[in-house]
Amino acid sequence: MRNLLVALFTLTTSAALAQSAEPQTPAPSEAQSTEAAPAAAEPTIEERIAMDEGKVAALEEQNTTAQSDLSALKKLKISGYIQSRYQYQESLDDYGNGGFSRFTVRRGRLKATYTTDLAQAMLQIDASPAGVVLKDAEATLFIPGTKQTWSLTAGQTKWPFGYEAPQSSGDREFPERSRVIRAFLPSERDRGVKLNGRYDFLRLNIGVFDGNGTDSGTVQDNDKDKDVIGRVGFDLKWISGGVSGWYGDSLGKLANDEFRTAYKRTRIGADLQVYLDVLPIGGTALKGEFIAGKTFGGANNATNLNAAAHGYWLLLVQNLGLSDAVAVRFDSFDPRNGAANVAANGVPGANNTVNTVGLLVQHYFGENLKVSAVYEIPMTAKVDDAKDPKDNLFTLQMQARF
Amino acid sequence: MKKTLLSSLTALLALATPLAAQAGTITVKGSDTMVILVQRWAEEFMKKNPGTKVQVTGGGSGTGLSALQNGTTDIAMSSREMKEAEQEKLRARFSTTGVEIPVAKDGVTFYVNDTNPVTSLTVDQLKGIYLGDTTNWKDVGGPAATIVLYSRENSSGTYSFVKDNVLGGDDYASNAQTLPGTAAVVNAVAKEKNGIGYGGAAYAKGVKELKIKKGSEEFAPTADNVKSGKYPLSRNLFFYLRNKPSGEAKAFIDFTLSPEGQAVVTKVGYFPVK
Repeated sequence: MRNLLVALFTLTTSAALAQSAEPQTPAPSEAQSTEAAPAAAEPTIEERIAMDEGKVAALEEQNTTAQSDLSALKKLKISGYIQSRYQYQESLDDYGNGGFSRFTVRRGRLKATYTTDLAQAMLQIDASPAGVVLKDAEATLFIPGTKQTWSLTAGQTKWPFGYEAPQSSGDREFPERSRVIRAFLPSERDRGVKLNGRYDFLRLNIGVFDGNGTDSGTVQDNDKDKDVIGRVGFDLKWISGGVSGWYGDSLGKLANDEFRTAYKRTRIGADLQVYLDVLPIGGTALKGEFIAGKTFGGANNATNLNAAAHGYWLLLVQNLGLSDAVAVRFDSFDPRNGAANVAANGVPGANNTVNTVGLLVQHYFGENLKVSAVYEIPMTAKVDDAKDPKDNLFTLQMQARF
Repeated sequence: MKKTLLSSLTALLALATPLAAQAGTITVKGSDTMVILVQRWAEEFMKKNPGTKVQVTGGGSGTGLSALQNGTTDIAMSSREMKEAEQEKLRARFSTTGVEIPVAKDGVTFYVNDTNPVTSLTVDQLKGIYLGDTTNWKDVGGPAATIVLYSRENSSGTYSFVKDNVLGGDDYASNAQTLPGTAAVVNAVAKEKNGIGYGGAAYAKGVKELKIKKGSEEFAPTADNVKSGKYPLSRNLFFYLRNKPSGEAKAFIDFTLSPEGQAVVTKVGYFPVK
């Protein structure tokens, strides 16, 4: 801010100085009095040149100062996006209660990034009707001598696991991440430190984190154990992917536990993205990801200690010219990890497998406004006479970013 | 619900009238280094194809690549390769990695004032000068005078090229004056007897081109040295597109790569790729 004020002040004074250098037309009365007075000595050409040279030198000096101040400001980037939605859901939950028709502001992100050759500071907040929360607070060191290809980031940051979790919500095609990602990587973020690097087409991201994530409800970690999380990937431009791993513990009590116990919190994952330029109407992308592991997040941030689960998603995106795209996504999550699905009181069990088909139509208005219409059809595994609940969801989202 | 869904989708599709590029017009945006070349190509191409208009604007490689990511240009001119972050944006927005077409070669040239007795420098000496470690011409064989540094803006591909290939990724000295376009750098060096600047080989008019010293040998940015790679600061000049070129854009690119188009490259002062 101080730099901005200095720059504005300098530019203002430059303009004022430039104006003062312009010849002034005297007012009529002044012109008359000048005629009456004895003629003043006119400055010589040399004197005028010297005077003008002095003024130019002063302007150049001020310009250099302004440039220096502005170059510091260029290191600061403010960005963000707002996602406003209308949503209609047939039923509120799998049991057929309620349903809704509502307007909401899902995300209101404001991100400030200051980048120098050696370091980067990034702070991102999310302002929505639910309140203002800290999303990211990262301090990054670009490891000297690596031309910013290797870096170390500490703070509150995204888990380096898989593809969809680290992807920005502003870039993602569908409004929400798939069910398996929301279960295994709720909030996508945690406090810790991570190493990011690339060598040729190889990518490495690995870190040590508290492990509970920012949605756990605890500001501080509740145990001494740390979780190790990482991804080894490759990027050959038209095809990219990677394998991810997570090893750690989660402290908690199951029904039969007398004391808190450290239960294994593990995940393995694989992801692949293929970008094709085969159709004349626009680019085609095929993406997919699979995750399996133990101790995942459930409804209301409840942690399913020691429980095993798996899931995957597949996405096909087709761009249509410059401004439009259509996509279809299939995502599947099995919280019982292959165990038989159940029914109770005529409805499927809360932890039954859910397969979801999503259809998307997307249009860009200019450079920064995206409108998406999405229809999602969740299909909960049916058992006996327990029917798949009517819980289809329609979302119309307008996203403006800056 | 079905009615709600259908009416919403219909409304969205009605709004989704493609903002396609105006038929008969190809927009080309980006590298200031390439503007003089691509304008000549455009003139020649439009003479042969009067129904097609080619609009060429500069702004720097970064600006052109950004326009490609935003969908506001058909072709981006770039004097550097696309960065990973730029490629990610293109993939996220258009589900494509883009198409890279080298259309000419260039040797990034350092210019000094005609009156400066220095004729060649090593890459290390240039690094020292632009990092601000060497501040006087006498330290590199010139007169006892403070070196006046001219540079390009950070949206320039040449700026990035010099930063990566001369400065080893480090930042320019803070007293380097940034100027908008290579022509402005050449103009400044032509007027400032202690000045030094850099840019594409085609711009070196009214200033002295420095040779690059490697051991006991010195290499000027000539066609032979650039083509053989002996000149250490050789680079490709690129066109980037979102998808495989088709229609009028393809016809224009085919022309630039034809013997006639490549002859224009030599006339302008760059070096052919074919």
